Amino acid sequence: MDAVRLMKELRVNYEQEADFLPRETGLNLIVSAQQSGGQITARSRDVTVEDLWSLTSFFGYSTQSFVQAVSLLDRFLAMMRVQPKHLSCVSLSCLHLAARVTEAECDLTPADELIRIGQCRFTVSDLGRMEKIVAEKLRFKSKAVTALTFLQLYHQITLTHTTYRKETLSLEKLEAQLKACLCRISFSKAKPSVLALALLRQEMKSIQSDDMLEIAFHIQRHLKIPDAELQRWSERVARCLSDYASPKCCKPNHRKLQWIVSRRTAQNLHSHRSVPELPTIPEGCWDESESEDSGEDVMSSGDESLCSSLGSDAEGPFFPLHLRHQYLAA
Amino acid sequence: MSAVSASEKVDGFTRKSVRKAQKQRKSQGSSQFRTQIAPIELSPLPQLKDAPSTDQQELFCQKLQQCCTLFDFLDSVGDLKSKEVKRAALNELVDYLSTNRGVLVENAYPEITNMITTNIFRALPPSDNPDFDPEEDEPTLEAAWPHIQLVYEFLLRFLENPDFQPSIAKRYIDQKFVLQLLELFDSEDPRERDFLKTILHRIYGKFLGLRAFIRKQINNIFLKFIYETEHFNGVAELLEILGSIINGFALPLKAEHKQFLMKVLIPLHTAKALSLFHAQLAYCVVQFLEKDPTLTEPVIRGLLKFWPKTCSQKEVMFLGEIEEILDVIEPSQFKKIQEPLFKQIAKCVSNPHFQVAERALYFWNNEYILSLIEENIDKILPIMFSSLYKISKEHWNQTIVALIYNVLKTLMEMNCPLFDELTASYKTQKQREMMKEQERDELWKKLEELQISRTSEVQNNSHGLPAALNNNSNNNNNNNEPRESSGDVEATAVIMEDLHQDATDTAGESVSCAK
Repeated sequence: MDAVRLMKELRVNYEQEADFLPRETGLNLIVSAQQSGGQITARSRDVTVEDLWSLTSFFGYSTQSFVQAVSLLDRFLAMMRVQPKHLSCVSLSCLHLAARVTEAECDLTPADELIRIGQCRFTVSDLGRMEKIVAEKLRFKSKAVTALTFLQLYHQITLTHTTYRKETLSLEKLEAQLKACLCRISFSKAKPSVLALALLRQEMKSIQSDDMLEIAFHIQRHLKIPDAELQRWSERVARCLSDYASPKCCKPNHRKLQWIVSRRTAQNLHSHRSVPELPTIPEGCWDESESEDSGEDVMSSGDESLCSSLGSDAEGPFFPLHLRHQYLAA
Repeated sequence: MSAVSASEKVDGFTRKSVRKAQKQRKSQGSSQFRTQIAPIELSPLPQLKDAPSTDQQELFCQKLQQCCTLFDFLDSVGDLKSKEVKRAALNELVDYLSTNRGVLVENAYPEITNMITTNIFRALPPSDNPDFDPEEDEPTLEAAWPHIQLVYEFLLRFLENPDFQPSIAKRYIDQKFVLQLLELFDSEDPRERDFLKTILHRIYGKFLGLRAFIRKQINNIFLKFIYETEHFNGVAELLEILGSIINGFALPLKAEHKQFLMKVLIPLHTAKALSLFHAQLAYCVVQFLEKDPTLTEPVIRGLLKFWPKTCSQKEVMFLGEIEEILDVIEPSQFKKIQEPLFKQIAKCVSNPHFQVAERALYFWNNEYILSLIEENIDKILPIMFSSLYKISKEHWNQTIVALIYNVLKTLMEMNCPLFDELTASYKTQKQREMMKEQERDELWKKLEELQISRTSEVQNNSHGLPAALNNNSNNNNNNNEPRESSGDVEATAVIMEDLHQDATDTAGESVSCAK
């Protein structure tokens, strides 16, 4: 990959990225919306994007499909007033649209499966109609320029300059971190080039490569990204990533997942919980002396035939001693 | 077994259900047969309630003795009057015992126990149906039940009577009595077993001196069942009694009880007829664990050792039991067994039998289990991940796929970074495997080409061969016709052919050699 050509490509994308930014006013409306107001809130948008992430992961779609879907979603939500009940339909149609232009034909999950797994209540025709609306409103033709575009370019650029280096920058890790950031609506306001650069620098810092940071600085100057802006987003990215990596798990939240099982399994699930009818018989401490009664063994001769498998007589210890020792440790 | 004609088989029904349809009435059995030739006539004695109180004791004993006469119920028309007399007398005795105090004087005990032993202690008749399947077939009922039921009722009232004194009764209700009682648990009649269960429970409760003996005999029965006969109808009832006993164990648990758990209850899970008594067995196991949580590790390792390999119905039962155990497990104990347990669960979710997979996946709907998994997600997720991910793509059953989504989503929410890591490494592994496949294919292709070029080389190097031979060999490797050529060329051609044959067989795809 020719370094000069890469830088040129970078410039081209940088000039186009503004076209794909969601309207700021629209985003602000969502962020400020109240839970009870019957509007889409930041929380509901974030939750929907998390669901999209799960679906992407489950169906084996690429990060590109996910990022494209989120871009479509944010732009649509910022442009149109969408009712909360339609949010899942909108998000799924964005995913389906994005997947269609990104994934290979054979890897594409059919719409009905998408709806079933996503546990949504609308139909395939609903999804189709929504797709058309989204495509029309956003004048959807091809892939948007997103933070992923820049991330991939930055990664390639870094590679061309550091082929002799031992430390490697993992694109997969960067992509995962990007996905984590995209789950928060606050990052939708960031310019993709800046967001990607902030992520890049964060990772470079964590692997402690000053040479790579040099390269990042070089990119920043090439695109003329102001320091203040980069700093602001870098801080936010750092916070987001530390939450993402923390051992505390995110609360499984929002709507409960539906657990549909077959009839037979459902029948067996609760049938075993039967209340015992017989009252408890407490074991007394005097039970130790019970053995004195077993001395009055009327049937010692008959007993032997039954006890012979145990290898002990009717009055002896419960189990032969050598077996006992094995289990006393239990 | 009656022969089933071909036409009956063709309509799709199994032999068993055809045989069931052919049976018109419920089967009954009995081992009470009339031994005397002359019919016994019973003359009704005066009513107890009408008798003056001074005579009641005597009358009571007389009635008891009268009831010691046995009748043949397989003969449905014989001795009807006398049977009725006995039945009425038994009924009266039950009522009398329940409603009056001071009946149980010392002299009465031997009379009572004698009547009882005479009536109920009998050798059980051999089973009508040698292939008796407890789940499918109707049990053979006791024909003499009209009388025997009342005798059991009487025994129960006797034991539960407020004047009952174990110190006197223990002379008659001794080890021999208990032994015979236990043998009756093998009865096919569920009503009889139900009575026996309650009766033995009361005896265990009241006769402290018999407790160790009863436990030991139950042990014998179970061990014989597991290792020798695999036949005993009363396992569920005995386990129910044991449940109430285990519930009452004092802490710390005696070694004897722990051995019983490991040596008897756990192996009991291997029985073929597990479904008949699994609920009671699981209850006993869980009770043990509630009493002593340190037993959790050996119990779960034991269950894993005996995990069913081919019987899916049993596997579902085992999974149910595991869930019950997990419901009461302590987090520290959970840590000890989480790895082997989840390895097994990972196998279960991949099981092509949908009920097994469903049951295993449903664990993730249990709040407490989820919290345990969450605490230990870094150990558990790597074990579960590849099975879940693979099956999400491959399982035939759509319900399962939806459940897997739920599980993966839940796991993802628990630890995002780890999940991403595992996804990435899974993908790289898959890619590596694909590359290996490709390399292997290419290697075989190279071998092909090598062989072709070598064959032609060999042909060219040998002397005096017609040109046609060269052309033919070059054109078509699959040449089976023997050539009139020098011996070693032929031999080499044969060897080359064999190699080629092997190559096409292993590569599994047809390689066109046309040039």
